[in-house]
Amino acid sequence: METITQPSKPVDVKKIKSRRFWKTAVQQRYLYLMSLPFVIWVFVFNYIPIWGWTMAFQKYKPAKTFFEQEWVGFKYFQELLADERFYLVLRNTLAMSFLGLLVGFTVPILFAVLINELKGRFFKRSLQTISYLPHFVSWVVVAGIVYKMLSTESGGINDLLLWLGVIDTPIQFMAKETWFWGIVTVSDLWKEMGWNSIIFLAAITGIDPEQFEAAKVDGAGRWRQIWHITLPGIRSVIIVLLILSIGNLISIGFEKQMLLGNPLVVDYAEVLDLYALNYGIGLNRFSFGTAVGIFNSFVSIILLFTANGIFKRYSKESVM
Amino acid sequence: MKKKFSKAAGSLVIASLLASVIGCSNSGTSNDPANNTGNSTGGNNTGAVSTEPMTLTAFFPDPNTTWNNMQDDVGKYITEKTGITLKPEFAVGDPEQKINLIAASGEYPDLISPKGTSGALIDAGALLDLTDLIEEHAPNIKAMLGDQINRLRYSNEDPSIYFIPSLEAIDQYYFDAGGPFNLQHEVVKELGYPKMRTLKDYENAIKAYKEKHPTIDGQPTIGLSLLADDWRIMISTTNPAFWATGAPDDGEFYIDPETYEAILHYKRPEEREYFRWLNHMNDIGLLDKESFVQKYDQYKAKIASGRVLATIDQQWEIDEPEATLKAAGKHERTYGHYPITLDETYKAANFQQTGFNGGWGLGITTAAEDPVRIIKFLDWLASEEGQILINWGIEGKHYEYVDGKRVFLPEIQDIRVNDNNRFKKEFGIGNYNLSLRYGDGVKDSTGNYYTTNNPEQVLEAYSDVEKEVLAGYGATYWKDLFPQEDEFEVKPWGAAWNIPVPTDSVIPVTQQKANDIVRKRIPEAILAKPADFDKVYDTMLAELDKAGVKKMEEEYTELVRARVELWSGQVTK
Repeated sequence: METITQPSKPVDVKKIKSRRFWKTAVQQRYLYLMSLPFVIWVFVFNYIPIWGWTMAFQKYKPAKTFFEQEWVGFKYFQELLADERFYLVLRNTLAMSFLGLLVGFTVPILFAVLINELKGRFFKRSLQTISYLPHFVSWVVVAGIVYKMLSTESGGINDLLLWLGVIDTPIQFMAKETWFWGIVTVSDLWKEMGWNSIIFLAAITGIDPEQFEAAKVDGAGRWRQIWHITLPGIRSVIIVLLILSIGNLISIGFEKQMLLGNPLVVDYAEVLDLYALNYGIGLNRFSFGTAVGIFNSFVSIILLFTANGIFKRYSKESVM
Repeated sequence: MKKKFSKAAGSLVIASLLASVIGCSNSGTSNDPANNTGNSTGGNNTGAVSTEPMTLTAFFPDPNTTWNNMQDDVGKYITEKTGITLKPEFAVGDPEQKINLIAASGEYPDLISPKGTSGALIDAGALLDLTDLIEEHAPNIKAMLGDQINRLRYSNEDPSIYFIPSLEAIDQYYFDAGGPFNLQHEVVKELGYPKMRTLKDYENAIKAYKEKHPTIDGQPTIGLSLLADDWRIMISTTNPAFWATGAPDDGEFYIDPETYEAILHYKRPEEREYFRWLNHMNDIGLLDKESFVQKYDQYKAKIASGRVLATIDQQWEIDEPEATLKAAGKHERTYGHYPITLDETYKAANFQQTGFNGGWGLGITTAAEDPVRIIKFLDWLASEEGQILINWGIEGKHYEYVDGKRVFLPEIQDIRVNDNNRFKKEFGIGNYNLSLRYGDGVKDSTGNYYTTNNPEQVLEAYSDVEKEVLAGYGATYWKDLFPQEDEFEVKPWGAAWNIPVPTDSVIPVTQQKANDIVRKRIPEAILAKPADFDKVYDTMLAELDKAGVKKMEEEYTELVRARVELWSGQVTK
């Protein structure tokens, strides 16, 4: 958070025609050599495993060799797309993702801006540290806290509402299907807000102080400084992060939903990863699980490119 | 943790059965050969067996750190008596790989215990069919199995016997009941030990006590609390439906004892009435509002506070909070177990026997030079002499008879309790469960139990309050309140939940779908307004139908029938 990150300027690369590629390659051989281990790393751990996708088109049985497996084509994809439950979990996944993105993006930015406006180095630092500590608490513990807080028996929230006279009888928060998305989103916000704001805070620190001084001289108040200098200053960071998170929309994991869920809210709580686990690996249906995985990847790629395209068009900022 | 439903379900039921036995298994404590040859049961033809030294190689799938190369007391005695010395190899790491490797290499040990990985060995033709060997040379094993010998057969297609089961014991007897309808001792004491037989009795007791004591230790009294956290919903919420309607535990299914037809047990009309009763309990405010929302931790904490009057659950799920209550001296807040059913026409089938389930054991390979000698060796271990030896050790050295009762010598008992590793390593007791063996509760010709677990231990573990309550009901054990084993027929299909399901069958997927539906709809039905109960229940049944449950039931019926056929001996070569 203390390091000053400067948005890196594009390296001044000459336009190289392809026939001159090898010449350059020889010139820059050390750079190539230096990057080689990482290229190999990515290849080994991110590309070779894609070979496993073949499983989705086979009736895969462990302990048989690749050539002994029976090929079944798109059978498992058809099965997946024909399952009603799949659409339910897809809806839940995307809904909770979008809510998470909406809240989990705006609030940390706001928080970062507000912290930046604070006077007093010590206070600022402590506040920041305290706010990101929950990030290190595991979901198991967070779920326990949430459950306790929302409990009808001496749960903090119910007690407070009763004391304020807002309600007469305790509310069964965890039994309300339609509230589940909200509860997940809010607990996620509590846990990750501080942590997510770190990067924005760092970006703000990177804004040239002269700009603020110039603005002050021109008579800009706090609000105008935020609006015209702070926010535009971190705009590129915001957009890059936003595009990347959109690519991850579908893979939100399942810990929160599994730990906070219960039989009464399951129709709003089950997410894609949990579905893949229960109906795929959990039943030794490796092929089906892989099919779900491939589907996920495609949706992610489509989302990523769409988001990237839109931002490229309207804001000239993009990751690719 | 949610990923292995079917397996978890199976192991749970196993766990629940195990848990109803007091104490843990007797693997740590076995005994030794009484030299009381005078008592030996018929057919123990040890004398006929050559005692020439012979070394057998063997493979065991689990590491055993207490193995002492048969230089322990029991081992030496076995070698002396039979001439046999075992040279075992214990699996390090993944036994499956090693066993597949053994199967592929063609170099077999004389004896092998492959647990679940027997397929490769059988495909490779590595194992001997023991049917004739047992018939001709193993009178003790034969006598022990009786007509259950068919339960050792491999499958309908290949009815050979490849293994002498050593994991599951014969005639295992459960000394006590462990649920599922539990009521605080304080409740029955205060109400003067009312009759506890039907759900109505149960409800009335809870109601009467709760009205009298709206708070316990300053906190509101909870009538009945259930648990629905993940798979635990089966133990506390859905399984009790068949317990209360006189059906035994066959997992998620109910097997018709006449036709062997399998249906999801929720489809039985009487179970609908059980859930209707839970709905009614919710309606009149006796059911804990948090039942289907709470996690296991919250549930335990609640019980440990002593204000939950009744739980419908297995003992092993409430052990922990009960221990807390006991530690706090609140013995009257722990629970008794009652044979509650829907009405008096049903009989709680908790103790209906499944019979011997066969299972994992030791096989003889084609590499064995003298299979007859080996089977005689295993048969000797299954004799009374052998059984007492492996469970108790050697008379005079490890145990003695005090007034006709077999007990460990005091110094041996001390080592047994305080240094179990030394107990096993030095004496070898518990290390020779190689052959068929008797379970807890089976008595030998001297009237003593073969194993070292016995009902007296159960009694010792009861608190004074517990004894008082039991006396109030005129019983000694909780089990006495229940219909006993001999009131039921032994189920010819064993326990349905341990029938292996072929991996490419529709059963696992449909079962998962059915679980998803049931685990959502049952809580919903219980919490619904009484007028809406039937609507929700019907919706559930319709959804189950739509999920393809019919097809699953048909396939399951086939599996059950195939097993009955196999076990009844109708399949022969």
